[in-house]
Amino acid sequence: MSAPLILLPGDEVPSDHLPSNNSNPLKLGPGLRLLSQPSSKPDATSHVLTATQAGLVTTDAKRNTVSILSFPNRRYIPTVNDLVIAQIHHSSIDYFHCMVTPHTAHALLGQLSFEGATKKTRPMLKQGELVYARVLSVGVGAGAEVELTCVNPATGKSEPGGLGPLVGGMVFEVSTGMAARLIRASSSSAEQGDVIDGLAVLSELGKKLESLGGFEIAVGRNGKVWVDCSNAGDSAIKATIAIGRCLQTTDDKRLNPVDQKKLVTRILREMKLA
Amino acid sequence: MVGPTASLSILSRADGSASLKCPTTGYNVLGSVNAPIELPARRDALKPEEATVEVFVKPGNTTAGVGERYVEGILRSVLQKVILGRERGFPRRGVVITLAIIGGDAVERGDSYLNILPTLLQVSLLALLSAAVPMSMTFSTALLGVTKSGDIICNPSAAEAKAASSLHVLAFSSKGHLLLDESQGRFEFEQWESVRERAFSICRGMATPGADGDVTMGDGGDEARINGFICETVEDHLHRDYSWKIDSA
Repeated sequence: MSAPLILLPGDEVPSDHLPSNNSNPLKLGPGLRLLSQPSSKPDATSHVLTATQAGLVTTDAKRNTVSILSFPNRRYIPTVNDLVIAQIHHSSIDYFHCMVTPHTAHALLGQLSFEGATKKTRPMLKQGELVYARVLSVGVGAGAEVELTCVNPATGKSEPGGLGPLVGGMVFEVSTGMAARLIRASSSSAEQGDVIDGLAVLSELGKKLESLGGFEIAVGRNGKVWVDCSNAGDSAIKATIAIGRCLQTTDDKRLNPVDQKKLVTRILREMKLA
Repeated sequence: MVGPTASLSILSRADGSASLKCPTTGYNVLGSVNAPIELPARRDALKPEEATVEVFVKPGNTTAGVGERYVEGILRSVLQKVILGRERGFPRRGVVITLAIIGGDAVERGDSYLNILPTLLQVSLLALLSAAVPMSMTFSTALLGVTKSGDIICNPSAAEAKAASSLHVLAFSSKGHLLLDESQGRFEFEQWESVRERAFSICRGMATPGADGDVTMGDGGDEARINGFICETVEDHLHRDYSWKIDSA
């Protein structure tokens, strides 16, 4: 692995940082664009990759992708297939109008885009309720509407599991970069041991809170984390707050795995849970 | 010379923010960027395929007036050229930049706004970077004054700027192009040319290509190289943000 490369907008990506896998075409992630460079010969144009955002260049040799990891506190821009936590703003005949990020147009969630929903048995969501949804489409062209869904249109099941209304629990806000890390950490936790993407906080909380009945967590790419500990009985509220504080402090203070474990121990002791 | 100090992503609710303190002029500016957001009144803007850039300048001790409107216009025209408003998620949305002057001498009504313009531009660039707004390039700015005796002073203080016969603000892109040239006062064209060369060496701190293709080294020795300062600030911050990734690699 070569030294970390940080680019500013307008900088070219040096060709020795690109993955050298030639079997499938190179894919560009966010923060990069392809520009053609006029050369002295009239019909020979060369292409350069330039950054449009400041960030760390990351490459994936297996999938042959290159992208820029920008500042983690940036605003979330909806992308197809992302999982988000949306809040219902109001409902109309066909759609629920949901808020994904503040100060942006409402995203649309079909009244029937839930598992097993029919005209008679559809969820009656009220203003302020939460749904865990997948971004179905972001539309074409300028100012298009974002559409969400809680069901896979092909199978009629809520895939991946857990999509749908979020009942109970509490939502905490984290940075969008942290949300992306949490998603990766929780989706690949089983095989890779304790620390994924420098995050030990979730597995540590899981171990410490197992005696209370564990907890449920849903992470939205829009920087929201929903936590529910309804199995914990009397200490459910305390445990929920403790989990939220652990996640937010890890995010704000950029803790390393060792400090994350210390933080979990300290917060659980302060909340009289351990 | 003491260089400026900057910090990034200091406000938690804004998408991007930065503050910059310039020791020689004494100005301290806090900037925040929210993008892309919905502008309810602008759904059918003049350029429907692009983002609308809005800039607000707020003096620390009074209401914004004509001077602020004027400087907002300059900032908007520079930033609009640099921001890529057609990137995904940006068309028909707004990029709202709010700059609050939180330290330094107040700009009196009717006074020149050129003193503070470089700091405002620098802060808005850092805040845009921290909000990950797509941009085609970065830029760096310099404030230069020409005294009555014809000497060029870099980053003049408020008193020096008042006494100077002319004031110049220049901005260079990261590719070395001149992006902005605002001047006031009386000056000769040769003077402006030497001001431009000096500003280039302050901003870029590197070789200035001469007219005959030769390369003369800029005298960026002890003067803060603004371009390098912006790079360092951003790189430092990203290193801390991604220490989990860089350390494990």
